[in-house]
Amino acid sequence: MLLEVRGLSTAYQGLLAIQGVSIEVDTGEIVVVAGANGAGKSTLLKSISGMERPRSGEVVFDGARIDGLPGHAITARGIAYVPENKRLFPRLSVSDNLRLGSYLHRKEADREAPLERVFTLFPRLKERLPQRAGTLSGGEQQMLAIGRALMTRPRLLMLDEPSLGLAPLIVAEVMRTVARLRDEGVAILLVEQNARAALQIADHGYVLDGGSVVLQGDSRTLQGDARVVETYLGTLAVDDAPPSRAASGR
Amino acid sequence: MTTQALVQVLASGLLMGLIYALIAVGLSLIFGLMDVVNFAHGEFLMLAMYATFGLVLVTQLDPVVLMPLVAALLFVLGAAAYLGVVRFAMRAKANQGMVQIFATFGLAILLQGAAQYLFTPDYRNVQNTWLGGRTLDLGGIFLPWPQIFGAFVSLAAFGGLHLLMSRTDFGRALEATREDQGAVALVGIDRNRVFALGWGLGAALVGLAGAVLAIFYYIHPQVGASFALIAYVTVALGGFGSVGGALVAGIIVGLVEAVTAVILPPALKSIGVYALYLAVVFARPQGLFGRL
Ligand SMILES: Nc1ncnc2c1ncn2[C@@H]1O[C@H](COP(=O)(O)OP(=O)(O)O)[C@@H](O)[C@H]1O
Ligand SMILES: [Mg+2]
Repeated sequence: MLLEVRGLSTAYQGLLAIQGVSIEVDTGEIVVVAGANGAGKSTLLKSISGMERPRSGEVVFDGARIDGLPGHAITARGIAYVPENKRLFPRLSVSDNLRLGSYLHRKEADREAPLERVFTLFPRLKERLPQRAGTLSGGEQQMLAIGRALMTRPRLLMLDEPSLGLAPLIVAEVMRTVARLRDEGVAILLVEQNARAALQIADHGYVLDGGSVVLQGDSRTLQGDARVVETYLGTLAVDDAPPSRAASGR
Repeated sequence: MTTQALVQVLASGLLMGLIYALIAVGLSLIFGLMDVVNFAHGEFLMLAMYATFGLVLVTQLDPVVLMPLVAALLFVLGAAAYLGVVRFAMRAKANQGMVQIFATFGLAILLQGAAQYLFTPDYRNVQNTWLGGRTLDLGGIFLPWPQIFGAFVSLAAFGGLHLLMSRTDFGRALEATREDQGAVALVGIDRNRVFALGWGLGAALVGLAGAVLAIFYYIHPQVGASFALIAYVTVALGGFGSVGGALVAGIIVGLVEAVTAVILPPALKSIGVYALYLAVVFARPQGLFGRL
């Protein structure tokens, strides 16, 4: 197993936001964590990435404990994390943001392959290299955030609500990219409030509620589970929305 | 005033201004990186001057030659100041700004006291240097060689800093850290390392200035204070955190000071600078090139 989270609990000012959460992600998998707003999804990712320090529990990555390590060391181990608010460097150019992504692999020769891969996945970024990251559209910022994360050459990519605020067409594009990355060997841990689109590409899923895992299973089972559909995915299928209304993402 | 006298005043002001810019730039760099004002900046300068003095005594080499070594020593001092003091001040749970101010202020008092104790309050000067006391005669305009040298060191330092910031991975890491210090971990950058290197770099720059000043200025434990005051004015004028702003503001301060010195009695030569500073604070509080 690439990532094993065992009994993880994290508190803010003494209040537990997640409680005894255990999940697993293996190479070649997309794992989705769904759950309502405030369920603790972001806290889970922050606790794995070292942004927040868990109060108890273990995070084991590639056989070694990483909980308690500082965030930069966790990135160096091979976990890339795209937080909900992306945290790009908005005044720096697209090019500089991507170069910063390869800070751990600074030899020019080591930079070429990851950069080519990012341009293959997101050709639009190549056209915007000199532009300041802060001036990109929401969809492009999401692409840059994923691109920057890929430049660290991760074995696990964690994405926090990548589809938030994006037009359906762009969401579909992001999901296709995520599926493609999985096929190229990057394990994916994907957090989504509206997990319908995510579950379609996922292998496994967990549902968080009130800081704990309340349901888990392979994605097809979860998609077919009436309780999940009603309680966590809503009754209106996103896929039914007319695609003609999708903005271009600019 | 004759044209020649005017050119003399402006040229002297320009040279001193470039040296002021070199004194101030490290302060601005550190502020820009992490929003911390280093109140021990003048003491860093003072120690750089003593380091030059001591190294000249020991090695019998000229300050011009020793300058890189002084800068390297100051680099270590700056990094140590961050790792030993400021890092802990930044962990304060409440009133972080105040804690940082008092931490660097305490460091200033400590360094001054230590200098007083170790080096005595006596005035020292570095003797028999290549440049000290020599002037260049440009058709009746006399320019002191130490200041000419200092001005060129300053320009070279600003050029080098610009290249470092815009062309290297370390420069990009500095820029990214000043943008969002909480986000650099996402790309595997240890912000504590960047901060320590940033403090080292800022101190090394003031180390260059100290080696230059040691050639033509008396050295004593309080020597940093008056230069530090000019440095704070320069940084505020140029815009806190702006490297280019420090260069322009340093030149302006040097020119205004030189002009004031001819118009008013020499004892009042600083008045023009502070008047200018107040005017800028009222008209443009973020400084000439600052962002608010
Ligand atoms: N920085 C914070 N400080 C205090 N409480 C927080 C903080 N971040 C999240 N919380 C709380 O923790 C709980 C889980 O939040 P979060 O992990 O952001 O949920 P989700 O991502 O599922 O919407 C919520 O009750 C939220 O209010
Ligand atoms: Mg969230």
